[in-house]
Amino acid sequence: MTAMAPGLPVRSGVGFWFDGYRSMLRFETKSLRRYLTLGVVVQVLMGAGMALMYGYYFGDLTPVQQTFIVTGIPALALVPVGFAMVPASIMDHKIRNTYDYVWSLPVPRAASAAATFTIFTALAIPGAVAAIVIATMIYDIDLQVSWLVIPAILLTSAMATSVGYALGHVIPEPRITNLITNLVIFLVLLFSPIVVPIEQFPDWWASVQRVLPFWHMSVVIRDGLTDGLVTDAATSYLVLTGWTVFAWAAAGWVVARRR
Amino acid sequence: MTVDTSFAVDLPAKRSGAGSWVHSYAAMLRWETRGARLLLPLIVVVQILAGAGFVLGFGLLIPDIDAEMALYLSTGAVVMSLILIGLVLTPQVIAQQKMEGSYEFLWSLPVPRSAATMASVTLAAVAAIPGVAAAMLVAVWRYDISFVVSPTVLPACLLTLLCGCLVGSAVAHGVEEPQVILLFTQLAIFFIIGFSPVSFPIDRLPPWLATLHEFLPFHHMAVVVRSSLTTGMVRVAPIDWMVLVAWTVLAAVITGLVLVRRK
Repeated sequence: MTAMAPGLPVRSGVGFWFDGYRSMLRFETKSLRRYLTLGVVVQVLMGAGMALMYGYYFGDLTPVQQTFIVTGIPALALVPVGFAMVPASIMDHKIRNTYDYVWSLPVPRAASAAATFTIFTALAIPGAVAAIVIATMIYDIDLQVSWLVIPAILLTSAMATSVGYALGHVIPEPRITNLITNLVIFLVLLFSPIVVPIEQFPDWWASVQRVLPFWHMSVVIRDGLTDGLVTDAATSYLVLTGWTVFAWAAAGWVVARRR
Repeated sequence: MTVDTSFAVDLPAKRSGAGSWVHSYAAMLRWETRGARLLLPLIVVVQILAGAGFVLGFGLLIPDIDAEMALYLSTGAVVMSLILIGLVLTPQVIAQQKMEGSYEFLWSLPVPRSAATMASVTLAAVAAIPGVAAAMLVAVWRYDISFVVSPTVLPACLLTLLCGCLVGSAVAHGVEEPQVILLFTQLAIFFIIGFSPVSFPIDRLPPWLATLHEFLPFHHMAVVVRSSLTTGMVRVAPIDWMVLVAWTVLAAVITGLVLVRRK
């Protein structure tokens, strides 16, 4: 008996999914447009500013040390987007009580997640590229750019966005998300071997960094920009993929759950 | 003929004078402390983490760090704690009051406005101590640094703090929009940590930026505080004190002008 639901077919299928994805892409872009502009500015400032700033603190640098700074900059520029802006945009929905509304929209949740993910990944890349161009000009370094830089930036950006997305959804309390975000930025800027070789760190802390994603982000990008500075990028690709998959699983578990 | 004064009989006498000021100051200090009691522990923890983290973190990053750079870094962290609490925390608190709508109420209280401002400066001074202590302790523990504290440390730290707080207040009271105040504090953090010769020698900056810092207070703050904690590292000149006093007076005048104004 279908009389109770005339004209209300359950929509599904690939076509419907892509429709939902496109609508959510428009929805998110429009609601975030001012925030996104600010994001690009923050990224370029953070990237180029940090390149200058590390130079002031480090004093006289050899060309290799300068290359380390310059090739660490794109990873540094990707961090605030993935680990701060993505969770903040989700937090914003929670604070304004629009979080449940977004999930009540008649689109597949995976399509909605994919839309957020697409926007922030697309946003992160031009900022990272601009940051490295400026950093290269500041230090006057010749980089050996290979095609490997494309998968490297795509994967790091995807990883950062995924982890940020998972953080935003998994943690119920916006304030805790905010705290974690600030800790991550602090950790990344001062305690991560992104602009210096990891060998410089004490052994125990270097081992912690080999598990965390930040050092690996810089390794794969550096591998695409230089010759001979990176010896084992394959492991780093694997670790980054691991973090991405883990983040998707965590986010998927929360997003798919009904209340 | 009799004058009817009964309608004004119950109004208290107009209060003024030093006694009244001190009384109001004490009252506002209690007010501010209680208002901040939930936030204060968090601020103290952040200050300790930032002070200690700054010294430790850059110590890890700087290649082949030597004793002089370590000393620069740790004295810089002390100065940074003193500057940021005034220039960042003070405006943020005021911006918060403006957003909550308690700003106007606060100024309607029957206390001299200068007493209220000094009460918030006092609270900031107390809140800065843990960060300063943490930076110095970590420096001693990690780099075996021995500070040589001279009596000028007290005026140097107090003037640095007062100058930062008053500049922060001038901006926060002078600028109407809380969002703009918050943006100012973000830019101030970025500029002071990244582009001010507080934790690294001034000669590493491009010449134009070094010249600009001759006129801004941050470099001079670093010089007076550093010279009171070390020997033979920097040479303090009368001009350093003069620039700081000038900025403090200027900021006090601006804060005063903005606060005395009635709407």
